[in-house]
Amino acid sequence: MFYILHTICLFSLLVLSLVLETQALTPTHHLTTTDVARLQAVLSQPFTDLKSAYYSVVGLSKLGISVADAAETCRFIKSNLDPSSVESLFFAAEASQALPGCEIPVSNDTRDLLLATVSEDSTASQIHQSVSALSSLGLPLASQEVVSALKARISKEDNVLTIILALQTASRLSQQAELGEILEEIEDLAARLDDLGGVYLQFEEGLEATALFVSAAYALSDHVDMEPPLKEDQVIQLVNSIFSKKSWDSLSEAFSVASAAESLSNNRFHVPVIVSAQGPAAISHSQPFLRLQVTNVLCKPLSSASVLVESATATSSKSAILSQAPFTLRDGVFELNFMASQPASGYYQFSVAIAGDSRFVANHVELKVKVSTRVSINNMDLSVVDKDQSIGPKTTRVEYPAKAKASFMADSHQIFAMTFQLVDETTGVELTPHQTFVRLHNQKTGQEVVFVAEPDSKNLYKFELDTTERKTEFDSISGTYALYLMVGDATLENPILWNVADVVLKFLDEEAPSTIQAKTLYTPKPEIQHLFREPEKKPPTVVSNAFTALVLSPFLLLLILWFKLGANISNFTLSPSTVLFHIGHAAMLGLMYVYWTHLNMFQTLKYLAIIGSFTFLAGNRMLAQKAVKRYIHNFIKSKHLVKLFSGEQIKVNKCRTKSGKMLLLSVLL
Amino acid sequence: MSNSVISVISRFLEEYASSTPNKLKVIDAYLLYIMMTGALQFLYCLLVGTFPFNSFLSGFISCVGSFILAVCLRIQINPQNKGEFLSISPERAFADFLFAHTVLHLVVINFIG
Repeated sequence: MFYILHTICLFSLLVLSLVLETQALTPTHHLTTTDVARLQAVLSQPFTDLKSAYYSVVGLSKLGISVADAAETCRFIKSNLDPSSVESLFFAAEASQALPGCEIPVSNDTRDLLLATVSEDSTASQIHQSVSALSSLGLPLASQEVVSALKARISKEDNVLTIILALQTASRLSQQAELGEILEEIEDLAARLDDLGGVYLQFEEGLEATALFVSAAYALSDHVDMEPPLKEDQVIQLVNSIFSKKSWDSLSEAFSVASAAESLSNNRFHVPVIVSAQGPAAISHSQPFLRLQVTNVLCKPLSSASVLVESATATSSKSAILSQAPFTLRDGVFELNFMASQPASGYYQFSVAIAGDSRFVANHVELKVKVSTRVSINNMDLSVVDKDQSIGPKTTRVEYPAKAKASFMADSHQIFAMTFQLVDETTGVELTPHQTFVRLHNQKTGQEVVFVAEPDSKNLYKFELDTTERKTEFDSISGTYALYLMVGDATLENPILWNVADVVLKFLDEEAPSTIQAKTLYTPKPEIQHLFREPEKKPPTVVSNAFTALVLSPFLLLLILWFKLGANISNFTLSPSTVLFHIGHAAMLGLMYVYWTHLNMFQTLKYLAIIGSFTFLAGNRMLAQKAVKRYIHNFIKSKHLVKLFSGEQIKVNKCRTKSGKMLLLSVLL
Repeated sequence: MSNSVISVISRFLEEYASSTPNKLKVIDAYLLYIMMTGALQFLYCLLVGTFPFNSFLSGFISCVGSFILAVCLRIQINPQNKGEFLSISPERAFADFLFAHTVLHLVVINFIG
């Protein structure tokens, strides 16, 4: 099974290495020398109890630093040791192991206690502590028993810390033991890591758990001599997570970071490489060497490495300047004389490879290097040209940094012109920096106007000032203006501000020179009056009133027609239901009016329900009575007709049921 | 042509005056009144403008609704249609008329603004 695992690991690594060749991560966070010093300081604090002594002593030994007073520390450990506590024995055993010449006395009881703790019933932490104590004190232990206890523990408690402790414990066991299953836990645990933005990889339990995982995984991998199933990118992401925090909350956190750093520097499989430029990655003639620091995570220089520039291309022209050029190692720093290849000023993309050890991870780095230079101004010619070009220009040459002796006059008939060249001081190559400004400053009013000087196709800079065209920029204020040339660029070492000459400008239609007002940004602005929406134009009241009367007039017509037709209320019976119905109906109409003036729909519906049901009951009764009357009337009419034909007397009894709807007639003949 | 139109109209009016029962004539007068009110409202809207539009709509719909309900009542009351409305007595028709009017007026008053 081991071998299958091994071949699978190798195969996957091969595939992955082919895939990852193109896009490798590089560490974004790492410990600098000051951080390592800070870590050392945290671990060197005076210890208060056995636990802090353990962290300090073992932590410092991981950083490769020995404790200041070994004898005193040994005494402290021995005096604070509690032989009946497994934890105490663990701290003492581990710490004494790290100190030279410190031996802890062991009794049979101690050994029995430690051996008894190795069982399924103890917690993983207890098993870890007893196994480590037994191993450090040189006592024999039964590896197979430990393995079965660990397996039982893992299956009972599946959390991250338990498994990490199991890994640590397994790394102390004999190599003959069956560690295969525990080795598989590394992969399972690695799958539980949270990927944050592709940059960090850490457990949700925190930094300490991640750091302890790294040291445990590599300890066990080294012990069984099998590469841990962590990809290069994952290793780099772990480096980012663990070393992103530069000040540690507790001694145990500092200890975990120190042990992770140690295992990442000294294990047999993966050694992350940290490459950083010493100072800014900028080269110039005064500083022709590009210096790189190549270290491991503990900031120790990797002297066995050979650093090579695979390619250096200019970012603007994409032409390759260097290919496969080696760095030379001097005083722990790798340097390369880039100026020897005579690069033009600008930015260069360097692709650097670090070889020398197959364990190196993240050994391809991309760097951006700036090459800067000094600029000099040549052939600065100032002239005043007549607009109609009738008089030839009178050119004055000025040398940097001197100022032109005479001042130049330009009024509305003339144009002031300036030409110059910008060249690299050493090579004489023409440059086009980002900033070439011409500034005119009126000393009296404090006004300043800035123009841009543009280069033509032959990289000759030209500036022309036409007083009539540029009137608005100057607010037509005539006077003496000091002319400055400003040249600047990121790749220039000597930006220039040069007072070239004085220019007297005369504008037509000069307004009274007013002092420049401070910008009226923060003064109150004129108030905006809000215009409310104009209400719609209403027709004149006369028209409305006239039409109201007109609309009401058909009612009169109706009354007249009804009168003519003979409609009357002679059938109006004064029975209670009728009266109540009419009152209720009138109340409903009144409610409508009140609804219009005062109420809302809900209140109206409420009142309507009350009045309506009342009206309905009364109306129902009234209409039923009417129906009965009508029915009887029709019946009598038809009976009368029958009587007319049959000539007999008919008596009619009528009685009503409760609802008044049904009518029973008994006919008596 | 116009002659026949005039004669048709005069004959129609004669028939109407003689054969329609009084009740229906009363309702017809009411219908005429409603129609005129509606027409005058519309005329106002055309002449003066639609401000306020909701009031115009409410008034006009009130007229239209009342007209329709009155026509329904007339149809249901007409003794010549008795065969089609066997289950609906004239009283029932009148009660329906009143109820429908209540609902109509509720809506109209709500909308009149």
